[in-house]
Amino acid sequence: MIKNPSPIYLNNAATTWPKPPEVLEAVRQSLALPVFGSGRTTGSQGEDYITLAREAVANLLSASPPEHVAFTLNATDSLNILIQGFLAGCGTGCHVLTTELEHNSVLRPLYELERQGRIRLTVLPFDDGAVRPEVVEAAITPDTRLMVMTHGSNVLGSVQDVSRIGDILHEHGVYFIVDGAQTAGHIPIDLGALPIDAYAFTGHKGLLGIPGIGGFYLRDPERVAPIRYGGTGTDSSSLFQPREMPERFETGTHNHPGLAALAAGVNYIASIGVEAIAEKAERQTAFFIGELKRESNITVYNEHPALPIISFNVRGLKNDDVGFILARAYGIVARTGLHCAPLVHQAIDGGAGSVRFGLSWFTTDEECRFAAKAVREIAQNADSSVDPA
Amino acid sequence: MRILRSIRHKSCADGTFMKEFLLNAPIPAGFFSYLENFGEVEVLPNLGEGFYTFDKPDWFSIKGFAGDTTVEVRFKKEVMDLTVDFLYLLFTSYREGQADLSTLRRREQAVEGRVRERLYGR
Repeated sequence: MIKNPSPIYLNNAATTWPKPPEVLEAVRQSLALPVFGSGRTTGSQGEDYITLAREAVANLLSASPPEHVAFTLNATDSLNILIQGFLAGCGTGCHVLTTELEHNSVLRPLYELERQGRIRLTVLPFDDGAVRPEVVEAAITPDTRLMVMTHGSNVLGSVQDVSRIGDILHEHGVYFIVDGAQTAGHIPIDLGALPIDAYAFTGHKGLLGIPGIGGFYLRDPERVAPIRYGGTGTDSSSLFQPREMPERFETGTHNHPGLAALAAGVNYIASIGVEAIAEKAERQTAFFIGELKRESNITVYNEHPALPIISFNVRGLKNDDVGFILARAYGIVARTGLHCAPLVHQAIDGGAGSVRFGLSWFTTDEECRFAAKAVREIAQNADSSVDPA
Repeated sequence: MRILRSIRHKSCADGTFMKEFLLNAPIPAGFFSYLENFGEVEVLPNLGEGFYTFDKPDWFSIKGFAGDTTVEVRFKKEVMDLTVDFLYLLFTSYREGQADLSTLRRREQAVEGRVRERLYGR
């Protein structure tokens, strides 16, 4: 057993690391000069990071117009704004659909609304990592108003058929919010073509930015009411929140370093091409899974993920212990536990949780080989327990 | 062997409270058989210098590697205030070779009653 001299970071489904040098430089520059903005007296030397980031994200996701991209703290913040804002226009007790694949960023807002008696909630099961469109259709009732679902599972790495599901929902007049926390930056996304009403993203995962910045795209802003009010730097004589985008949802001072990082991260991705990123991830993920499957006591929960996410357990060891051994004995950073997605784990491992590897563009083939070998070594020794006496 | 300080802590998904402790010396392999007097120990000797876990149900669990100077301890939160002193005592009482367990046993019994009462009301 050889510990790698530098840490191998495979927790990219939580937060990507490292960041491109361009991102670090953008953050430095954003703090080195005063904030630029119309109506400000700081001159024109600085960059307009808000516009740069908005246009970069809109380009990457084919989201039009760019003003319909609004910035928030992260995907969880976006989902809360979208869910609460949409339901503000629905009567008490309307029916909402979601799935067992969701992260707590979707489940907790919805379960809280259900507890308050504001919605009736149906949680749809998945099969082989996917929520079937026909299951969605069968669950729609005359009072169904909203469906919130993940685009890509943060546990199984499966990408959902949001195109078919969106078509079904729209045929029944159901509003469709998609959680893109795991897909933005990882796979090509064309929000102009997809039947999605709102798409939430975060900046610090696949988009290679830093924590503290996220956002959402909204096809028709009038469908979602603002739930936060405050200064926007526009129309300041009015005592009411502007109705137009993006000020409708962006209140208070922007996170300029976060936006600078997001713009740089997205531009970095665009310079490589999302297709190239997805291809490399697919190859490395397939390698990992092939290696892990060589050990009969390793369970891989999705052998064909569309995202670079590999969830597994080693029989005879707690996932938490495997993570500990990986970190201490091999210098590998993985994620263990429920990954904030408790219902997925109830379905796949009885709620015990799993070890998760998440890869990024910066994960090398050598790191994959080393980490796969480490897991196999742990698995080969999992049954070697001896009496210490 | 002594616990020098806690270097990391967090609330875990399973409801336990994790603390990572820095020790004044690397853990010797003999420490595992000593721990076995107070709970269940499992050792995987071929991983590093030996990966071990110690579980004292309702109190805390310990995991680490022989030869390492840190250990990860997960306390049952509801009784952590009662059990944390025993953890420190467990480390300070360890001696290479035969250890006198009588003081530890008495302390264990006293704490056990309070833990049971707190958790189960008896």
